[in-house]
Formats: sequence, structure tokens, C-alpha cells
Amino acid sequence: MSTSVNDATSIVPDLSAPLFGIERPARLLPAEPVTKIRPTKFWETIDLGELWAHREVLYFLIWRDLKVRYKQTMIGAAWVVVQPILMTLVFAVFLGRFIRVPSDGIPYPVFAYAAMLLWTFTSSAILSSSYSLVTNSQIITRIYFSRLALPTAAVGVRLVDFMIASVFLLVFMIYYRVQLGWTIVILPLFVAEIAVLALSLGVLTAALYVRYRDVGTLLPILLQVWMFVSPTVYSASIVPARLRLLYSLNPLVGIMGGFRSALFNLSFDWTSIIISALVTLVLLAFSLQVFHTLDSSFADEV
Amino acid sequence: MKPIIRAANVGKKYYIGAREAARPTWRDALRNSIRNNAPLLLGRYGPHHPFIWALKNVSFEVFPGEVVGIIGTNGAGKSTLLRILARVTRPTTGGADLYGRGGSLLGVSTGFHPDLTGRENIYLNGAILGMKRNEISRKFDEIVAFAEIEDFLDTQTKRYSSGMYLRLGFAIAAHLEPDILLLDEVLTTADVSFQKKCLDRIKSVSRDGTAVVFVSHNLKSVTHLCQRAFHFHRGEIHDEGKPGTVIENYLRKFSV
Repeated sequence: MSTSVNDATSIVPDLSAPLFGIERPARLLPAEPVTKIRPTKFWETIDLGELWAHREVLYFLIWRDLKVRYKQTMIGAAWVVVQPILMTLVFAVFLGRFIRVPSDGIPYPVFAYAAMLLWTFTSSAILSSSYSLVTNSQIITRIYFSRLALPTAAVGVRLVDFMIASVFLLVFMIYYRVQLGWTIVILPLFVAEIAVLALSLGVLTAALYVRYRDVGTLLPILLQVWMFVSPTVYSASIVPARLRLLYSLNPLVGIMGGFRSALFNLSFDWTSIIISALVTLVLLAFSLQVFHTLDSSFADEV
Repeated sequence: MKPIIRAANVGKKYYIGAREAARPTWRDALRNSIRNNAPLLLGRYGPHHPFIWALKNVSFEVFPGEVVGIIGTNGAGKSTLLRILARVTRPTTGGADLYGRGGSLLGVSTGFHPDLTGRENIYLNGAILGMKRNEISRKFDEIVAFAEIEDFLDTQTKRYSSGMYLRLGFAIAAHLEPDILLLDEVLTTADVSFQKKCLDRIKSVSRDGTAVVFVSHNLKSVTHLCQRAFHFHRGEIHDEGKPGTVIENYLRKFSV
């Protein structure tokens, strides 16, 4: 290279010259930058396209958690059924038999199991999402990919668990000879809705947990409360009519009620279902925005 | 020739001080005055929190096929710059434009899970670094050969020695084929023979047009590998030029 050694300003190397004796192929660069790195602006909205671009990472993160779990435990898949069954058993004895809590005319155990299935998914998805960023701190401080993939992967893992545990629901329904109706076809809609709800809250708590470690202690308590405020172990019919609207602001009211109605061919409470859909969407937009706002500081604060 | 990396006035501010002060529990926030902590709860640090500028007004260009070395004392801002270029963190001021796909190796074995086997970790790590599944499958044998772990593919990586971890981590990153490769002090724990392998690999990718930004304390490798070197000091570019000269000045000024 023929530049002066004393030249203190930026030296442009003569890259047309052969390097190490080998001719360089010309590399064509795009006119526009592939990536623009800039400071964050608070009004930036989240780019979900980034998550789609990193969908393989999402897949592998889910694959990793499932593989590790099955390597570490002996019973493997059976574990995911244990929690909802145990809880249903306890509630079936105390609330179903001793207190005889109303269950919309459906045998209490299968009534409770259906909602317990949804609840186990929701609470474990939110909990594991909330610490997904902190647990993977090594990765997010070393390599870049859409950080949304982490809480999403946590929810994805629990969704797989849900699918496995729902097989047992089928067993329950056969045992209690529950009649199915056409309504079963809209069941996936409610599953999708609860997945979106769990994802929203998971994303929100994940973002907050990085900065405020209180979230870790507060979350289990809030989830406990939420379980009883939702029609998990009782039917929504026990709530007095004048409080019903307020009660329905809890999105799980519409989702669990709708799930049961679809499953057991009962009447639908459309008001609560519509309210839950709206609340879920608002929560989704809100959570994604909060996540995006805090995203730029994750690597610095985790 | 058009640059593949163009950085202009990049600055990075870090808040320092007691973690408790920077990340209050809600009890602390309630106890202290609203005026002090409201900015924190809303996501911004108050004006009185101590900070440092890890990078100040850094501007430079890197061209395709160039191997650029960055040297400097600890805390000079080298890793911070690489993290910004790798998009792990965002700059406080200024910005950088990347005209190609970036691949970074800021630490080895990123994402490795000790309970997974070497084979499984290759897929996991490769995916995290940005490779597609079929790409990993295609390059699988090359990666294993480079890392020399053919016999240990189906052993859980918690049984691997630190050298094997390093070899595997570098092997995967080496097969990334990015347009821009960012390396942060990755060869510090490598033995001489593996170091040579890595340096040869870096040379060969730069021949193919990849720009390499190489942060290292190993001054010999910087002299050997780089066409240009930057000396960072306290967050600014202190010196720039041919590696031989820059290193000579660096040693003269700052070495014991």
C-alpha cells in the first residue's frame, strides 16, 4: 500500500491491490443500508416483521426448552398433565362434592378440568415469559435477534404442554359421556385468544422484570388472585347480575366461559366474549409498545 | 470504494452508580420524593444520576474485504462499539449504517445449553447467530471438522473442556458467511494451533469480501492480520493507521 506512514488522517486502503497475492472479487454493495443503527425514539412502534425474520430462532428456543426438559426429567411428558389433574382433583372434592359449587349442569370434575387446563397454561406461560429475558441474559447481551422471540418462545412451550394436557380432557369427556355439539368448531378461537392474552401479559411482565425485580415476587400473588377472580373453579352464574358487567372486564371470564360453552354445547355469553376480545387486543397493543420502548435498554440493564 | 460500515458521531452513555439507586424497588420509589423517581418509573433516568460516556463522537468507515483491528486499554470503549455495531445495544447519539449482513462473535458459545449435545448446540447456536436450518445442515460437517469434535458430537456439552467450547463456538461463527464480521477478543483462550486456524479463516473470509472488525489484546495477531488499526482511548479514536505504527505508538505511550 502506498500511503504515507505519517498521514494521521483516515487512510483509505488501496483495496484494488491484491491482498496476500490474491485478486479480490469486487463486492457489490446495496444503495441503501441493510441496517440503520440509531438511538431510540420513544414514538417508534414495534416491528413485528423482525420477529418473523427471526422465526427460526423462535423455533429453536422452543425446541431447546422442550428438549432440555425431556432430558432432565424421567417422566417427561407426563409432568405437564400432573398440575391440572391434581388441582382439579382437590377442587372436585372440596368445591364440587362438599360445597356443590354450580357448574352449569356439567359434572364438576370435567367442568373444572377444562378451565384448569386453560388456567395452567395461562399462569405458567406468563410466569416463564416474565423471566425469559433475565434467564437468557447471556444471549441478549452478546447477539442480536428480535427480543420478542424470548417471551414468545416461553408461551410457545406452554402451548405445547397445553396440547398434551388437553388429551386428558378428551379422556375426561369420554368418561363423563359429555355430548358434543357443532359449537366445538369454534373452540380453537378461544384457545387462540387465550394464547394472545398470555403472550401480551408475558411480553409486558418480561419487559418490566428486567428493570423492576419486584415483578418476580408480585406476579405469583397476582396470578393467584386472578385465578379466583376468573370462573376457573366455579361458574360465572354465581356472580350477581348487577356485578356481571364489571366482572366481565376480566378477559378470562369471556374466554373460559366461551371455551366451556363451545366444549359442552352450552349457551354463549356474547357480551363477555366481545368484551374479552376487546380487552385482549388492547392489552396486546399496549404490551408490545411497552416492550419495544424498553427493548433498547435490555442489554444494558439485564 | 463504498464503505460497508459507516459510523458517524457514535456516542454511548452509561449510567453508573449503585444498582439500587438505578433500579428502585417500588418501596424505594414511594419512600423517596416523587420528583426524584417519577422519571425512573416512566423509563428515564433523572438528571442527577451519575454517568459516563463510554463512547464519544466516534466516526469511521470500513470497506468490504478490509480487516480492521481495534486496540486499546480496558474500558476504552472497544466492546461497547462492537455491541452497538452488533445491534445488541443502541447508541445514545449518532448512528451507523451497515451495508451488509452482520455476524458477530462477542463471546463464545453464546446460547449453548450444557444439557444439550454438541450436535444439538450447533443447531441452536447457529440459529441464534442467524443461520437458517438448512444452512446449518449443509455446513454441519465442515463445522465439526473445523472444531475437531467429531468424537464428541453426541456428548452433552457440559462435559466439554473450555477449549472445546471455544473451538465449537468459533467454528459455528466462522461459517456464518456474513458481509460484516465482528470479533471481540475471541482468541484469548485459544491455543496456538487453533489461533492459527482462526486467523487463517479470517484471512480467507476477508478475501471473499467480508469486512472484519477485530478487537484484540493480542497485538501480534493485529499486526499480522489487519490492514488498518484503530487505537481507542477513553471512548474516542486516539490513533488510526497502519497496524505497525499504531501499535508502536500505543506501546510507547501506554505500556509499562
